Amino acid sequence: MNLSMLKPGETGKIRDIEVRGSLKRRLMDMGVLIGEEVRVLKKAPLGDPIEVTIKNYNLSLRKKEAKVILVTTAAL
Amino acid sequence: MITIAVAGNPNSGKSTLVNAIAGTRLHVGNWPGVTVEKKEAIFEYDGKKIMLVDLPGTYSLSPYTQEEIIARDYLVHETPDVIINVVDSTNLERNLYLTVQLLELGIPVVIALNIYDEAKKKGHRIDIKSMEEALGVKVVTTVATERTGLNHLLTAVLKVAGNSSRYYSKQLDYGEDLESVARVMERKIKQNYNFLAEKYPLRWLTFKLLEGDTHILEKINGDRNGLCFDEVVQHLRKTYGDDIESIMANVRYAKAAETTHRVLSKPEIRKIELTEKIDAVILNRFLGVPIFLALMWFVFKFTFDVSTPFVDWIDAVISGPLKRWAMVILGMIHAPAWTTSLVTDGVIAGVGFVIMFVPVIFTIMFFITFLEGSGYMARAAFVMDRAMRAIGLHGKSFIPMVLGFGCNVPAICATRILENQKDKVLTALLIPLMSCGARLPIYVLFVGTFFSENSGTVLWSLYVMGIVLAIVMGIVFKRTIFKGEPSVFIMELPPYRMPSFKNLMIYTWERGKHFLVKAGTYILLVSIMVWLLLNLPWGVEHKKDSYLGKTGQVIARVFKPLGFGSWEVASSLITGVIAKEIVVGTMGEIYIEKKMVETTEQKTLLHDLKECGISFTIAVKDSVTNVFSTFWMKSISIGGDKKLTPLRTVIQETFTPLSAYAFLSFVLLYMPCIVASIAMRNEFGTWKWVGVSFVYQIALGWIVAFAIYQGGKLLGIGIG
Repeated sequence: MNLSMLKPGETGKIRDIEVRGSLKRRLMDMGVLIGEEVRVLKKAPLGDPIEVTIKNYNLSLRKKEAKVILVTTAAL
Repeated sequence: MITIAVAGNPNSGKSTLVNAIAGTRLHVGNWPGVTVEKKEAIFEYDGKKIMLVDLPGTYSLSPYTQEEIIARDYLVHETPDVIINVVDSTNLERNLYLTVQLLELGIPVVIALNIYDEAKKKGHRIDIKSMEEALGVKVVTTVATERTGLNHLLTAVLKVAGNSSRYYSKQLDYGEDLESVARVMERKIKQNYNFLAEKYPLRWLTFKLLEGDTHILEKINGDRNGLCFDEVVQHLRKTYGDDIESIMANVRYAKAAETTHRVLSKPEIRKIELTEKIDAVILNRFLGVPIFLALMWFVFKFTFDVSTPFVDWIDAVISGPLKRWAMVILGMIHAPAWTTSLVTDGVIAGVGFVIMFVPVIFTIMFFITFLEGSGYMARAAFVMDRAMRAIGLHGKSFIPMVLGFGCNVPAICATRILENQKDKVLTALLIPLMSCGARLPIYVLFVGTFFSENSGTVLWSLYVMGIVLAIVMGIVFKRTIFKGEPSVFIMELPPYRMPSFKNLMIYTWERGKHFLVKAGTYILLVSIMVWLLLNLPWGVEHKKDSYLGKTGQVIARVFKPLGFGSWEVASSLITGVIAKEIVVGTMGEIYIEKKMVETTEQKTLLHDLKECGISFTIAVKDSVTNVFSTFWMKSISIGGDKKLTPLRTVIQETFTPLSAYAFLSFVLLYMPCIVASIAMRNEFGTWKWVGVSFVYQIALGWIVAFAIYQGGKLLGIGIG
């Protein structure tokens, strides 16, 4: 399961980041770290990008980037 | 002199703090060779001379974005005496991640715990003392928008700089595994790479080598053998089970989190914040796009409607009284005719041209600064990203593109809202395809002459043509010049904040001034060149024999297949490089031959001054009325303007409707005007992209006009 699959309002815990290099580095610099909780707030009016809350602030990213962030939800 | 570098996250109120400290002493420029804004100020405080350098806002010091590279290069190469680290009190953990990295540099740090009022209002309590203990640096609370805490901050900085403070910098403990590795590596670096150890802070260097920082690795040709590197990596992998970069990010964030937990206490129940409420409307599924478009429309309209009366006023003053009095003065000192002509038609006209941009540039800079400062710019990008991505652009690109319809120049300046160099360049390359206001007089003349029956549709078709070609070229550029360049969209949506008016004004003023000073010089030069072309050899009877006319004759051949291969048209296209509306003026001058003689009425200076004053009041009035008038472009009055009647007759003889349309599309596309080119040069610090723009636009214009003219001829449309 990855971050782009979560619906607005849902929360997940980051399990892995499936990408290497500068994109991973950038994500980590923004606080997207393994074990971190992330909550999807909303989708943009045109469906993409999405807005999430992580480390107490709001971050937006495209679905393409959200796809590499693997999460587990509390329900599972 | 004490050098202070100001570092901090974007949206931490860093700019406001710097503005509040430095005020009008702030100088805005660019970092050498890049498009990132550089702000610095020199001033005295408490008898000490201080140089303040504002580093670009960054989340980290990794070498992945331009801003990060600039910030860290400055810090490690210029080693400022003190770093002021501006930290957003409402968002401690992520802000402290940068702080942790700054501490690796070993440069004394003072933390400005900014936006402290907002944190207090939220019920956050930050234990300053224990924060100082934890990080080993002085912490001062500030509210930059209200200018509180600034004296404390500067006093603390001077104390630290003068070595009389208990706190200045501390090596944070990254845990025994990492620290033991660092110790081994530090020893090895000193043994084997001492030239690096002399140049960079050792601890920082160690971690950069460990992380595999490309910029540092280059310095040792990628050879890490002298560092026992393999053993080190294996040891760390075994302990942490992750790659080094992730380990480092985790360790640093852990430090930030640890500190945050130690110093911050906040209420259990979180209130629904204002930002969330605003976003529920502004980013609403159905309202998001309409609100954005309405806001853009407002900014566009406001900018151009409000500034147009002033632009016209400046134009009238310069081409009227100013020119007249220059002539009178030159006449009194018996200046030769060519000097008079050079001064009035070359220099004054050139300077006038620059000044005419003042109202537009300043208004637009004001809005841009406001949109950025309030937090809406990030939302605009969020809303538009999906649509803009299709043509390889970033969500934020939409704003400069829209501004392009008013004037390409501020639009190109506005590309600085984009973070990524590729996005900036690509947006700037496409902006000239947005049909700016200056092209309108040409359209009006031709459309009114040839297509008076469906003028609206034809005019509209030209605007649409520009947009369609921008989409096409966007896709082409994305697949050619910018092929393989990654495009990412990872952006903070900061809380909404009201930017302070004073701050807005300072920033607007600095940005506007920066443009005018730089652009002014070039534009003046080009106007003088064109004047020379038009008037040399001196005393030419017929414009055909001037250098401009001769050049026109040569390049006219190129335009033959497009349906307008006369030297007159070619010459006007050359002068149109200065600004497209000049095409009409030149045509008038060439075709009608005898210059439209200006009635040189005898007026006294007093009379002129009075008139300028009166017309200025009228401009103010018009500008205010325009804000309230609701028409899109009220100034389009096709068919009117009697002054152009003789020109119309000549044009009707020279063009067919088909070649007229081909000509118009060529005018739309053929190249950015000189002011836009200079704006591009200013933004990117190189002529390269101006060159690309010239080449592709001339080619595109030629191909499109060719297709229209030849295609139309084949189909037998509009030849008669």
